[in-house]
Amino acid sequence: MSKSTPQLMIVNRLHVFRAEHRLTQEQLAKEIGVTRATIVAIEKGNYNPSLELAFRIARFFSADINTIFSIGEDEK
Amino acid sequence: MKRLDSTLLKVFGYGLPGVIVFAVFSYFYRSGFFEAASGRLGLLNALSGLVLALWMTLSLYLSVKLIVSGTFRDQVIARLTFIRERDEREAILTGKAARTTFLTSLALLIFLFCLSCFHVSIYQVPPEMAVDGKTGTVSLGLAFDILGNHRKEAMAGARDIFSYSGLPVSSTVVILFLIVWQIISYNYSMWRLTRS
Repeated sequence: MSKSTPQLMIVNRLHVFRAEHRLTQEQLAKEIGVTRATIVAIEKGNYNPSLELAFRIARFFSADINTIFSIGEDEK
Repeated sequence: MKRLDSTLLKVFGYGLPGVIVFAVFSYFYRSGFFEAASGRLGLLNALSGLVLALWMTLSLYLSVKLIVSGTFRDQVIARLTFIRERDEREAILTGKAARTTFLTSLALLIFLFCLSCFHVSIYQVPPEMAVDGKTGTVSLGLAFDILGNHRKEAMAGARDIFSYSGLPVSSTVVILFLIVWQIISYNYSMWRLTRS
């Protein structure tokens, strides 16, 4: 087993962006081509999306990826 | 999936109840249930044999097709085992669940292999064959039969108390058990991963 490296805690403001755009989880999921369960998992911090999906979300909200996804303060 | 394969798959699935009915009828026909067996019933029995032969050929074709065709396998087995990969998260969870299933299945196979190799016998020999006055004997053995020729060599005149020589179930039961195990293990792992 390899030596474990400290994991980065990635936080996201997806629920804020979604609320600003007045979208339900289902609507957002449909727009970016994933399931609602995936949106729930991302918002709860249980799942970190791939780089591709993160960029897709950022592009959908016309926002910089860093404003939606960032590294948690305590892990910097 | 090709249209032919899709049609054959439907014939296989929908034909199963019919095959079972024909098989039951054939069983009763051969066991003399129908006392006044008319020519029509004989013809029906012959027809049931033909249907069974066709259905068996079809099942062989489909099972070989499942092995050789990746697309067909993905479509049919994925549906049978409830595999869903609608997005990247589900694909990752599927991978994790498949990994768990693979490892647990391998562990189970190792366990079954051990059970099939070990032979244990406990028996009592007649007093004239006793060693140091002891009549109870425990015999341990390891067997690796490639061809499945189980030999049980009991000592002449010995009273068998307990004997274990390999798995007491048929290979069909073991294979069916492994299929069911794989499906349950995968779905249980997926359920746990989805919940966490």
